Amino acid sequence: MTGRLQRIGRMLRPLWAILCGLTIAALVMQLSGYNVREAYGALFTGATGIEQGAARGTNQIALSVPHYALKSYHLNTFLLAQSLAKMTPLLFCGLAIALGLRAGLFNIGAQGQMTVGALAAAYVGQWGIGKGDTGTLPPLLHITLVMGAGATAGALWGALPGLLKAYRGVHEVIATIMLNYVAINATTYFVTHNLKDPNSAAAQSARIAKSAWLVPYVAGSNLTAGFLIALLAAAALAFLISRTSLGFRIRAVGMGADAAAAAGISVPRTLITTMALSGALAGLAGAIEVAGVHHRFIQGIASNYGYDGIAVALLGGLGGGGVALSALFFGALSSGASHMQTLTDVPDSIAVIVQAIVIIFVGVRYVRKDSRKRRTFNLDEMQPAEIGTGIGNGKVI
Amino acid sequence: MPTPNAFSALEAFVSATFYSAVPLSIAAMGGILSERAGVVNIALEGLMLTGAFVGIVAGQSSALIGLAVALLAGGLLGLLHAFLTQKTRMNHVVSGLGINLLAAGVTRYLAIRLFPNGLHIAGLPGSLFLLLAVLLPVIVALLLSRTKFGLRLRAVGENPESARMAGVLPTLPRYVAVTLSGVLAALSGAYLSMADAHTFSSNMSAGKGYIALAAVIFGKWTPVGAALGALFFGFFYALETQLQISGIHLTLLGIEWTSPFLLDMLPYLMTLAALVSVVGRATPPAALGQEE
Repeated sequence: MTGRLQRIGRMLRPLWAILCGLTIAALVMQLSGYNVREAYGALFTGATGIEQGAARGTNQIALSVPHYALKSYHLNTFLLAQSLAKMTPLLFCGLAIALGLRAGLFNIGAQGQMTVGALAAAYVGQWGIGKGDTGTLPPLLHITLVMGAGATAGALWGALPGLLKAYRGVHEVIATIMLNYVAINATTYFVTHNLKDPNSAAAQSARIAKSAWLVPYVAGSNLTAGFLIALLAAAALAFLISRTSLGFRIRAVGMGADAAAAAGISVPRTLITTMALSGALAGLAGAIEVAGVHHRFIQGIASNYGYDGIAVALLGGLGGGGVALSALFFGALSSGASHMQTLTDVPDSIAVIVQAIVIIFVGVRYVRKDSRKRRTFNLDEMQPAEIGTGIGNGKVI
Repeated sequence: MPTPNAFSALEAFVSATFYSAVPLSIAAMGGILSERAGVVNIALEGLMLTGAFVGIVAGQSSALIGLAVALLAGGLLGLLHAFLTQKTRMNHVVSGLGINLLAAGVTRYLAIRLFPNGLHIAGLPGSLFLLLAVLLPVIVALLLSRTKFGLRLRAVGENPESARMAGVLPTLPRYVAVTLSGVLAALSGAYLSMADAHTFSSNMSAGKGYIALAAVIFGKWTPVGAALGALFFGFFYALETQLQISGIHLTLLGIEWTSPFLLDMLPYLMTLAALVSVVGRATPPAALGQEE
């Protein structure tokens, strides 16, 4: 009985956090004199693509609604595609962070790993470039190379804090924060020097060959096969965690490094492998932004996805499916907020406020007053015991 | 023999070094109080941003009132961090990230809503903050080493169980320390907006909270060490500005060593080096980030 209640409690927890976030944001908008209904209406349209009015134009599909609704609605596939496109890097970064947390590692470095992955992808994307951006390589091969480059660079950048943690006991939160800034500055150096776009003064690389482009599903949108790769990655991660021996080792280390070591698991090797895989996922996000969206490396290409991924992972409860749903929510929220800002002048930073409140409400662990035992609905079942307690905090494992 | 011109250039360089170090040093003292009490504080960034914003908004009629309100706001947000990490046992990093996001979102939202055309302020003299940046490390060092409160603070940061056995509940020193760290980070933020830029722009802390944290680690969690770390990092900021003004370029082995992007990397690389170095390695307080 308690078991079922616990399960229901765990499932309701993220929804409760989202509800709190949206409600508090509504209060903020109301108090600062905006029309909340209008703002949230625009946000909903931007997030889902569901718009009022009859379908018109190429990107609109009529929706059948009950006759008593009195109004007609249509689906704007462009807006929906943009939401799913925003979801793609969030899903990758969310998976990267969720994987790390499974091993008890807080990878704040997805931002840097994504940036480094994007630069490597932009570099490989210029291979075999011909006249007018056309490429000489077969597209499938070229795209595979670009993705491979992004994943490899991200993996190396991620493995570095893993190494520091495993052999020098350096806390990964500190190491990854520092490495984020190193990555951002180093990549900007490259695109203002060796890899500079010769046709522009901006800090960006030259365009990649057309053979490495991912083609959008909806004309003009950023939704490409990258979205499908992200969904595959979510499924692969869920499989890795629950069905493979590496997944078992990762979970064992996350539950307690000492016990795992006593059971014969090599803790340093597991930490490094986890960080490398985590970095590879973030690096893929960067490669897809290059191949599918910008077609080059631009300064600030990782936007804030690496940090947003932390919210995605925590809300999604660290499982493949949960993280995908959570990325869908945050992608739609962010895309919807830009639409809202265009239509109603409400600043899109309202989405950041929602995200902050969601993080805080998901992270809170409720404690009973009478005992030190935690209440049933908490993250403990989902989060390894040692998150942030810093295994190897100052001591060498 | 240096010309008067060279002297004034040197003077400007030294002054730029010190003033670049001011916000880092003040915020780092906040970081030390919190971390020595065992609470990880990556919320410094958001606390600084809050101080910067509130100082400008509340300081329109009187700069001193603005400063006071900014410190109060920082203290309250610090108290929130203490509450979340101690009372609700939230992971310290998650709470810090939540507060950083909250500060970034709310300040940007309100700045666009309240003053879309910017808001300026006559502000406060920078020398006031310079004085504080020099005095605070000494005060914090004395507080930690010479007072009962400092002893208790360090005890709960190193070994909360023993502190509990000795009759010191970890909660109170931690609440006080993290609240004070919010006040100090807000003071540092107020310097940025009220004494340096004389206006607020969104995300104006621009990672300085994280560099302050780097200074804490670089200084091995000691007040004077962190202040020297801040000064060291300030030196590179000043160097970068000076190189840009004078237009000096040094290219060797195909790398432009004077590029601002490479110079910007140095504080982070040196902090990493301090963490991994064999001699005199930086070791954090033993119970940092742990539940009691």
